Amino acid sequence: MKQVALLLFVAAIATTPAAMAANFSMTERFSFEYPLDADGSVWVDNPFGNIEIIGSDAASVSVNVVKITSGVDKAAIIEGRTLTQLGTRGDHRVRELRTAVPDVPARTMRWQSFVTYSIRAPRTAHIKVSSTYSDRIHIADITSDVTVKNVAGEIVLNNIRGRVVVDSVNGNITFNPAGRPMSSSQLVTVNGRILISVAPDAAFQWVADTIQGDFKATLPVLHPQFNGRTFRGSVNSGGPTITTSSLMGDVFVLRTGTTLSQARSVRVTPPQEASQASMAPVAEPLLARHFQAPVVEGNWQFATNIGNIGVGEVRGDARVMTGAGQVQLSLVTGECNVTSRGGELELGDIYGPLTARTDAGSITVSSARSGGTVITGGGTIRVMSAGGPMTLRSGGGDIVVRQAHGPVSAETRSGDVTVSLASASRTETVEAHTGRGNVVLNVTPRFGADIDATIITSDPDANSIESDLNGLNIRRESVGRRTRIHATGKVNGGGQRVSLYAEEGDIRINAPVPVVVSPQP
Amino acid sequence: MRESMPLLLVEALDPSDREATHRHIESCAACAEEWAACRDTWKLMGELPVVEVPARVRQQFLSQVLRAPAEGNVVPLHRRREMRWFAQAAAVVLLVGGSYYAGHRASPVVLAPTDAKIVSASPSFSIAETRVLPAADVSPTIEGRPNIDNVQFVDADPRDGQIGLSFDITSHVTVTGSPAEKSMVRLLSYVLASEDRMKPSRSRAIDWVRDTYSAPNNADPEIADAMAKILRNEQHAGVRIRAVETLKTLPSKGDNPRDALIEALRSDPNPAVRIKAVDALAKLAGSGAQLDGTAVDTLRQKAAQDDENLYVRVKAAEALSKIRPQ
Repeated sequence: MKQVALLLFVAAIATTPAAMAANFSMTERFSFEYPLDADGSVWVDNPFGNIEIIGSDAASVSVNVVKITSGVDKAAIIEGRTLTQLGTRGDHRVRELRTAVPDVPARTMRWQSFVTYSIRAPRTAHIKVSSTYSDRIHIADITSDVTVKNVAGEIVLNNIRGRVVVDSVNGNITFNPAGRPMSSSQLVTVNGRILISVAPDAAFQWVADTIQGDFKATLPVLHPQFNGRTFRGSVNSGGPTITTSSLMGDVFVLRTGTTLSQARSVRVTPPQEASQASMAPVAEPLLARHFQAPVVEGNWQFATNIGNIGVGEVRGDARVMTGAGQVQLSLVTGECNVTSRGGELELGDIYGPLTARTDAGSITVSSARSGGTVITGGGTIRVMSAGGPMTLRSGGGDIVVRQAHGPVSAETRSGDVTVSLASASRTETVEAHTGRGNVVLNVTPRFGADIDATIITSDPDANSIESDLNGLNIRRESVGRRTRIHATGKVNGGGQRVSLYAEEGDIRINAPVPVVVSPQP
Repeated sequence: MRESMPLLLVEALDPSDREATHRHIESCAACAEEWAACRDTWKLMGELPVVEVPARVRQQFLSQVLRAPAEGNVVPLHRRREMRWFAQAAAVVLLVGGSYYAGHRASPVVLAPTDAKIVSASPSFSIAETRVLPAADVSPTIEGRPNIDNVQFVDADPRDGQIGLSFDITSHVTVTGSPAEKSMVRLLSYVLASEDRMKPSRSRAIDWVRDTYSAPNNADPEIADAMAKILRNEQHAGVRIRAVETLKTLPSKGDNPRDALIEALRSDPNPAVRIKAVDALAKLAGSGAQLDGTAVDTLRQKAAQDDENLYVRVKAAEALSKIRPQ
């Protein structure tokens, strides 16, 4: 659907100026012909416009060009026409055809140009096409290799016998390799769909890769194997390798005469249901799925390669895994285990032990009533309330714990660590460690602890250990180019061990005296 | 433990060993004494001037070395502890003696006088590193008890009847005004780019800037440029994350912030920064902003990079799906 919308948009871009300013557009036509060896090369670089290349038996390249320039007024059209330059260079070995257009903003603000190439080239010539935006790039009847690179626009390759390399961002790719594929090919698109249409007796190795899409075929695929997100299989007895990679789109291999709707997924494991009580491990691969529900009754497990997950309430244990996506769980009455390969985790009130991990992204926990472990490869960790022991680790990013009722162990490679103990806490074990940043510990004035605080800094005038609690013995010493500041001591008679460590930052122990505000008589 | 001391001096120990060594030194009197001696020696060696070897001595030494016959057999040398101490002591005596000799031979250092730079008077108040003011422009009332240090009395020309008093003054200044005022924008940009001693932390300062300058009527490219500079130069990953989050919300973005986001996506070692950067670029592309060829290529490369975080790949693909013809 997105692709259709994009194509419509591109088409609109191409046609709207002409429609809006019928009197302010100009069409020019050019024809050229150049001799070319049978095994010569044709290179086409046309940023904006369609390209068609058809193989022929002639020993020359014949080129027809239509250049449409539209603009807000006559002067703009003249400017656009002048600045859109057609160029050609080369000889009988290599013929290069090129359209040069200036960068934005002049082009988009005042005028647009769209250049269409129709080319007849020797069918044995090597073809190389580069485009940015077009409706369509069509190449047919070529027996040598074909290379196409574009950003948006459909790519259609018909009756190509040579090696094909296509690299697109948003374009759909349709490849019809003239019956049986004779050469290895590589088709890559980020957001588009790939369709290969072959004869019933076509034989080749199929290697496919996708993150969010699926692999579908109307031919029997033998020995299908998945290795992570990569699929390998043989069509008929095998042969040259066709590699298809569409990160977000589907890949189809169709027998001639069949349709997209007839294609079936080659995945061995059918997709699992979203909600299930079983806690058995989930087999890969899974399709990309999103899940959203207000309430899930009982124990719940959900796993997906890609997907955002949002659940209001889980009445039981929750176990959630996503390869990439954000996870939001507002309430979990049991144990909560959330794992993401990348994406932010937002967890609300968690009654049972919590384990939350993400390879990258911030993690926010409103309340971990039984404590738990929170780990991110990089990102900020915020825990608003912790009712039990908390272990917090970040590969880089701040860690903030407010209202800790239990021991806290927090460590970040780089970032500030702020731990606030609950007002009722008289003593508690705290470890706070940052490889670069500040450590702030907020406690009550009556907090008792054995404190061991260390700073390693290259700027001892800027970084310091400051404490509202008396009883710390602070020592400084130079170590090479850096200074180590070490404070130890018992505060309020001592208590649990509090270990604070910061490099290139401050350590601050705040113990503000509560201010009682009495109503005025 | 003593073997670790030289490594401790040159900061070659990893953090855990470093801390363990420190803790042992603190608890062991013998090692503490050894450590103090090591450190003093190290410091002394660092303060010694480099003495140029006279050309004649150098030539004599080299000629002797070059004349030395090559030995036919390799004879193993056994370490002799007393010789090592003797050699070290001799080296220290030579260095101290040499420095004393060099120090007395060296001519005194003379600094050429430099003129004070006069900063042109601004209409009201300018924040400057140094300025010269005529006494007539200074109010005779001194407000509060400002801290004055490094006082110097200057009388460049005793005949002109003018004297000078130069000093460092620490005074707390509050500048108020609209967020859109150029002086406020410039001041904030400077503070964001240069502060290392800001209290509270820089992260909070960035949060404050984001809250203030996310409003479209306060948009200013200079603030976005300051954020881009932080994103490029800051070593603190938490601060870089905040900088990207702020860039994502700022309405005014030029080429520089966009390029900084691309650089962060391409090479920031922290995956969260890359995630935030690709999120910001996806938003940028969705808002119709132009992404140049470099940006598109970086996104394309990230989307296809097998060893990249999956979320980054998906978001890169999403950003690419939103780009529009230029």
